[in-house]
Amino acid sequence: MARKISLGRYVQGSSFIHKLDPRFKLVISLFMMVVSLLSRDSWQIALVTVVTAVFIRLAEVPLKDILKSIRPILFLLIFAFILNIFSGEGEPLVSFLGLDITLLGLMSGIKTLFRLSLLVMNTTLFLTLTTTPILIADAMERLLSPLNRLKFPVHEMAMMMSIALRFVPTLLDEAEKIMKAQSSRGADYDAGGPIRKARGLISILIPLFISAFRRADDLATAMEARCYHGGEGRTRFRVMKIRPDDIVFSIMVALIGALVFIGPTFIRVPF
Amino acid sequence: MIRFDKASFIYDEDLPQEVHAVRDISLAVSRGSHVAVLGRNGSGKSTVARLINALLLVRDGVVEVGGVRPLDDESIYLVRRQCGMVFQNPDNQIIGTTVEEDVAFGPENLGMPYERMVKAVDQALAAAGLSHLRTRAPHELSGGQKQKLAIAGALAMQPHCLILDEATAMLDPESAAEFLRLVEQLRQDRNLTVVNITHNMEEVLLADYVYVIDDGRVALEGTPQGVFDQSDTVIGLGLDVPRHIEIASCIAKHTGLPLAPGEAFSFADAVDAVQWRLEKAAGTVKSAAGRRARLTREPGDTLIEVSHLSYTYDANDPSAQALDDVSFTVRRGELLGIVGHSGSGKSTLIQHLNALLRPPAGKVQVLGLDASVNKNIRQIRRQLGLLFQYPEHQLFEETVAKDIAFGLQGQKLTPEEIDLRVLEAAERVGLSSELLSRSPFELSGGQKRRAAIAGILVMRPDILVLDEPAAGLDPQGKAEILNDAVRLRDQGVTILIVSHNMDDIARVADRILVLNNGRLHGLGTPAEVFTDEVRLQQAGLEVPRTMRFLQAFEGVYPELHTDCFEADRAAAALLGAAGEAQHGA
Repeated sequence: MARKISLGRYVQGSSFIHKLDPRFKLVISLFMMVVSLLSRDSWQIALVTVVTAVFIRLAEVPLKDILKSIRPILFLLIFAFILNIFSGEGEPLVSFLGLDITLLGLMSGIKTLFRLSLLVMNTTLFLTLTTTPILIADAMERLLSPLNRLKFPVHEMAMMMSIALRFVPTLLDEAEKIMKAQSSRGADYDAGGPIRKARGLISILIPLFISAFRRADDLATAMEARCYHGGEGRTRFRVMKIRPDDIVFSIMVALIGALVFIGPTFIRVPF
Repeated sequence: MIRFDKASFIYDEDLPQEVHAVRDISLAVSRGSHVAVLGRNGSGKSTVARLINALLLVRDGVVEVGGVRPLDDESIYLVRRQCGMVFQNPDNQIIGTTVEEDVAFGPENLGMPYERMVKAVDQALAAAGLSHLRTRAPHELSGGQKQKLAIAGALAMQPHCLILDEATAMLDPESAAEFLRLVEQLRQDRNLTVVNITHNMEEVLLADYVYVIDDGRVALEGTPQGVFDQSDTVIGLGLDVPRHIEIASCIAKHTGLPLAPGEAFSFADAVDAVQWRLEKAAGTVKSAAGRRARLTREPGDTLIEVSHLSYTYDANDPSAQALDDVSFTVRRGELLGIVGHSGSGKSTLIQHLNALLRPPAGKVQVLGLDASVNKNIRQIRRQLGLLFQYPEHQLFEETVAKDIAFGLQGQKLTPEEIDLRVLEAAERVGLSSELLSRSPFELSGGQKRRAAIAGILVMRPDILVLDEPAAGLDPQGKAEILNDAVRLRDQGVTILIVSHNMDDIARVADRILVLNNGRLHGLGTPAEVFTDEVRLQQAGLEVPRTMRFLQAFEGVYPELHTDCFEADRAAAALLGAAGEAQHGA
């Protein structure tokens, strides 16, 4: 049965952001990470928040999916928040076990919360949600291609990633099949203590690994049969074309970034 | 186009186990011809394919493809480019994440400029009939579509030659036939040379010339007709011959009137040859008991009861309905065949029998236990052994013995009892005891499959469910596995076999259950199921070849029982009917 397995959490769509060149998206998301981190004043953070909101609108992805991306770092966020609220100087608002929470501390805690969330939301938005994994791999290969001169195996890395992506559904199916086969032989993956459970896992993992090796061997032969000989002299079927949209959008992002970077020399606010 | 002159490839320790040595192979294939290379598993026939495509290079002798000898990088790639290859496992030869990307993989490697590449990909997809699937991911394709994709990938490199390395072994008969039609059409349209490495004898009939490889050497060569004239030699090499030839040579033996070269090569010729001999020898040959006695034993008690079973993989999608109101019972001691085309619900059905899947509607009872009740599952799985396709892929322990014993964990048995059970199970599938201390990965393909079956039998199940037990085995291995199943049935194990192959199933089954689009389409003895040809065709299935051959005589001998599924029994039935006709006259 053809099951739909989504890798990452790519949301199908044809929005403005979806259509941007993945190379630009990769650079922009890195850039927005830096911008988010370097935002110190509350006006900068407010600006980045507004800009991110606009991006979300442009990407036409459900807000729910964006917010979900914060969940994995929730613990980190809370930890950073608590660390910050106790480390501010000035008049204590509340005292707690000998530790003071000051207004400045509270502000810096909230700002940290925003900075980290914005950072994650921007990468999720530009990469995970609107770019397929294979295009990200491709964009990386192209962006890193200058490293080829330093003998860094850029093409090989990208090929490995692409093959890994191709085989994820196949191996998932395989794992399910093996699990069913072992269950039919009386394996019970829910019962027993930790040792039995670990043994149960072995009965799935070993056949899965062996199958993966066999597939790898077959695939290598099939690739050789189709004249694969590394990245040298290879042309590409998946082309990336830079469109005016990419340029205009990147300039806008760069300007906003510049504003955040050099802003503090002109604008001073108390927070 | 392809020339081997005393080519040898000696086994090398660095190579994977599957590569078998070949010695002094000489062959010549001309442009546009269709050559079949036959041989049992392990004969070295796949090595021949790899030598043609320069995936392996000869140690001695000469291999020349299109006038090029693969010696250095440049000539190797020139050869590979000329020879497109389709391998056995559809999944393990797709590199791209979408259909069109995969087709482009070869042209990319050749450094083809973008515009030409796009054109080549378009043309290749159109030629393989895959244009409508171009943006699909590989795992969304069927097995047949994947193999066509492999052809498209080869075509995009504009090859002169197509090498099929057991390319249809993992396909169902319908997809295999479609695949071969595509190959034949391409051969004619593009003057492609086709080299088909196979052990399917019906495919050999499509070839212009045949090489039979055994133990790394050419054991027999000639036109298909010439090769099949020596049917005893072919069978001796672990292969079989097309059914009509087999029956005709049986008749020839019984009547003492040997076949002339090529006399029984085509189906129609074989019918004539048999007819002539029957008339000539009528009365002189004693009629033998024709049909095999089936189910002479009293039907036992009901072991499995399935009632109104329905199952869907996706409640929102009507096309995902896998089973629709299926009801049947299985009685103790019978061998039930389950047939149906791909996607008819066979696999889904058997997974309900040991509660791997739970029905949203309907009831499954095994040995009186309700499969939907959690506490029954352990008991059911112990008494109903289920073996999936390619069960050897589930082996994992250090030794065969430990692997066989895996199913006994959780049962309170002493080590001695476990050893005893393992020995017993191994013996029942004919695995010799010295193999038990070996690693399962050192065994041959057929032995691995037996070990996997022993891993089920060790639980001493009352019921054994086998999903395509003969898949991927050569004719001899296939016959052995099916005979094992019959023997187990005779020992009292109730057996269910899922199969695509009507010939196999008709031969061994007591009753056959036909599924069509998730519905129960028919259930009865092989004779009942296969005589209703119209109904059979509705389910996309074919009449077994032996029966089809006998049906050609129905007009001549109205008394003839056409429900025979083995060559010798068919011959006996024909002789019997001819004898009766003589008496009557």
